[in-house]
Amino acid sequence: MLPAAAVRLEAAGCITGLGDTAATHAALLRGERALALSPVLGAEGGELVPLALGGGRNLDETAPPNWLPLVQRLAAAIPAYEWGSPTRPVFVTSSNFGVGSLYAFRRGGDPGHLAYGTPSLCVEWLARQLGWGSTVTTLSHACVSAHLGLTLAARALHAGLAERALVFSFDFISPFVTGGFHALKILNAGFPAPYADRPTGSIGLGDGAGFAVLSRDRGEFTISAQSLYNEMHHFTANRADGAGFAACLGPVQAAASGRRLWLKGHGTGTLEAGRLESAALAAAFPEAPLVSWKGSLGHSLGSCGVVELALAVESIRTGRAPGTVGGVAPCFTPQVALESFSTAGHDGVVCTSNAFGGAHAAFLLTHA
Amino acid sequence: MTRERLRDRFPKGATRRMTQLGLLIGAALDDLVPRYDDAVVYATQYGETRALEGYLDSFPAASPTLFQTSIHPSAVQQAMITRQQPVGEFFPMTGRGHLVAQAVQTSLLSPAPRVLLCGGEERGTWLLTRGVASDRTFAFAVALTAEPGGALGRVALRPEDGTGGATEFSLPDFFEALKARQALDRPVGPGARLILDWT
Repeated sequence: MLPAAAVRLEAAGCITGLGDTAATHAALLRGERALALSPVLGAEGGELVPLALGGGRNLDETAPPNWLPLVQRLAAAIPAYEWGSPTRPVFVTSSNFGVGSLYAFRRGGDPGHLAYGTPSLCVEWLARQLGWGSTVTTLSHACVSAHLGLTLAARALHAGLAERALVFSFDFISPFVTGGFHALKILNAGFPAPYADRPTGSIGLGDGAGFAVLSRDRGEFTISAQSLYNEMHHFTANRADGAGFAACLGPVQAAASGRRLWLKGHGTGTLEAGRLESAALAAAFPEAPLVSWKGSLGHSLGSCGVVELALAVESIRTGRAPGTVGGVAPCFTPQVALESFSTAGHDGVVCTSNAFGGAHAAFLLTHA
Repeated sequence: MTRERLRDRFPKGATRRMTQLGLLIGAALDDLVPRYDDAVVYATQYGETRALEGYLDSFPAASPTLFQTSIHPSAVQQAMITRQQPVGEFFPMTGRGHLVAQAVQTSLLSPAPRVLLCGGEERGTWLLTRGVASDRTFAFAVALTAEPGGALGRVALRPEDGTGGATEFSLPDFFEALKARQALDRPVGPGARLILDWT
């Protein structure tokens, strides 16, 4: 895989179950957990599982969707640049889009939900709400979706097709997705402990939305060595030899040579993937401290790449990276950082995400 | 019918759990013999419609299999996982009137030596009656490369100035053009013109 050319990161922000970027970062530093036990099917009950909903919203969808105010609040922080015009394209990434609305329609029968139910309808509606033009590209590849948006945005900039590019990611959970992960027995009553070497694994799910504004030459940070790889080995498991992780990390490792790094991993709380991921990261970047924040925020699915990018930026800006909240010793590798640490003395962070089907994505974030 | 017709294109027993869209996409990609260094771009407006319908109908006892299958980009994954075909870049895209333009642009921007641009839809049932599913099932796959030798045709996406409303060009219309070897020279999105000609 040939990594995408470097681009500048002009701005980034997110919203999670703990609030906006600064609030989320501060809460993570305090070791707070956004996840709380909630009925897996919302109003229809079911087992209590760890969920992190944003802004007091309900798991059960309304028409229009009850996450719109959260997105509007986030969008207010995006630098105003006539987004959606031909030279300022928008790349929207999500895993769920408005599928919570489809669920609500099927369970309750209100056709008012259908206007938001498919990815195209949902994004077109959202674009109108946020005042975007029609140059909006939509990508959906589960938990690596945001990375694909960043990669395509970088290519559009370098091809001269854009002056600036906005990557906008959102995923708001609903009984559709909580029911599914619960049925897969990945989401259960246990709270996630990323990279913990324990008998059983579990995840939490959380709301997340984020944005990144990319340009060729403006911005405090650089995103480089964007790398993608798809094992296509199994829907829900990785190759046991970790080759998929290594294939994705190789180009990033080469680009990061000589740098003192920290690592923002994927770390959902599942066991085998966490074991393989942490081992691959330790092999590629020995002694680099590794964190995952999904033990607090939950897994925000398609938006996690951009949400966690914003938090990584905030960590560098404030000089302190939150540790792996919710994690417990013993961990799979000694590199897993359970406590927060200073980012001073580190000159970059490698951010990674993984998805079903053995999809992997990674990039290097450094000061420009 | 589709399953029976295409069964021999896949490893024994593999088609039992594949969807219609997965079978069709898989057969189309199979003809192109995917390689490790290919990039894959996958375009669909609705994705796995039947799995989505079935999953929604399975509640409150949510089906794990149907959940898994309904997640985009299941169709391509069904095909490539069945054949154990890793690939570097894979861009699953969705959209409506500009999806073709965006998928072609994504393909042309890839540095991979060859890009497999594929796509399709699956006819829905109750989602179709509500106007949120495709009314037909189809799939296609084309291999794009900078090497002109042996090419069936040429595709280009040209930027163009335009102050008027962008012209939409649907995925089914693109499929029909490919099937009929129809030449195209038309706006397909904001500031984009698609040129497709055949040798």
